[in-house]
Amino acid sequence: MLTLLCLSILFIFRDHSRVTAVQRGAVDAIAFTNKVVLAPFDAWDSLLDSVRSRTALQDEVLRLQQENRVLKGQAQRVASLLSENARYKALLNSARDIEDELIAAQISSVSPDPARHLVMLDKGAADGVEEGQPVLGAEGLIGQIVLVGEYNSRALLITDSAHALPVQVNRSGLRAIAEGSGDIDRLVIRHLAATTDIRAGDLLVTSGLGGRFPHGYPVARVTNVEIAVGDAFAVVSAAPASALDRGRHVLVVAQSSQFEGAIAP
Amino acid sequence: MTRAQAVWVIYASLAGALLFTLLPLPMDWRGLRPDVATLALFYWVLALPHRVGVATAFTVGVAQDLIEGAPLGLSSPGLMLATLLLLFNYQRIRQFDLLQQSLAILVLMLLSAGIEQWLRNGIAVPAVPWAGVAGIICSVLCWVPIRTILRHSRRYYEVY
Repeated sequence: MLTLLCLSILFIFRDHSRVTAVQRGAVDAIAFTNKVVLAPFDAWDSLLDSVRSRTALQDEVLRLQQENRVLKGQAQRVASLLSENARYKALLNSARDIEDELIAAQISSVSPDPARHLVMLDKGAADGVEEGQPVLGAEGLIGQIVLVGEYNSRALLITDSAHALPVQVNRSGLRAIAEGSGDIDRLVIRHLAATTDIRAGDLLVTSGLGGRFPHGYPVARVTNVEIAVGDAFAVVSAAPASALDRGRHVLVVAQSSQFEGAIAP
Repeated sequence: MTRAQAVWVIYASLAGALLFTLLPLPMDWRGLRPDVATLALFYWVLALPHRVGVATAFTVGVAQDLIEGAPLGLSSPGLMLATLLLLFNYQRIRQFDLLQQSLAILVLMLLSAGIEQWLRNGIAVPAVPWAGVAGIICSVLCWVPIRTILRHSRRYYEVY
């Protein structure tokens, strides 16, 4: 009986509302338990933080100030470019880009399943997170939300071998599908004709096709283009732009202006 | 049949073993984490087959799925089948020495992991690569210490 129940849940009722309700409830319960389990480690970390030397902190402040100056400088250019772009778009009579709405979140844990790249984020439905929203790291796209609890959510990273996303080569505009490889530092593009113009070092950005990821976020940089003699297709490897196994701070793109009024995929 | 005694020890140890799954490990090392919850389950099935059986195995499997964020029902069938085999053979396996017992546990874990892989392929969830066998071997190496700890707690609290 129980075996039958398992198999029917797996194969027939996987997306039934009651089953997902249980999973959503579990997201919060597990995140909470996890916090309790990790409390001693966190306490130790914060103790270490509090006794960090003054000079180390001063160094860091200095470094951050410099970085901030550089970023501000770059932001000025971005602002002028944005306004220029808006003017051109107005001239072309097309919709004006509004800035995407972002939610800052932290990765609180990683799923223990070694075959998956699933992480837990500390923001949930109460903060405006919804399933399908893209997740950004410091340098580019890192994944998307797959399961939302009230105060926590699970995100699937782009390197999970069940994940694939539409990308575009920034240099040539070539469109392709980047699949996760199951390795944390590698994406794969299959089924590109061996004569395609793609080189190591090319930046891949989201293409916006498929209607899930907004256009223009950096995803990965091509590391290797392998063309076996006689093969019709090249195998292209790329390294994610954002180091997926480092850093805890991420941004969830809560609302993208690009899809307002678009037909749902 | 005598009255149940201190049954909470069983569930507390299973819950504790599940908490072990939540401890953080670097991404590439997650596969080596010993599956303590399964080992604890197998121990209780061996020690108290009239208390812990297929239903408990089902529950442990569901809990594992929820913790991993996997589709519900992925781990349970394998665990339930392994538990069933243990229930048929517990008297024999109890008589084994530690090495033989570890080997029996190895076979059972391979069986339940194999069924899980099969189901993963069936519903297109990424399967654990062959390196996952290393995790099972780590688990089997933990059988003796876990058995010792649980046996002591069983005797101390007189679980029956």
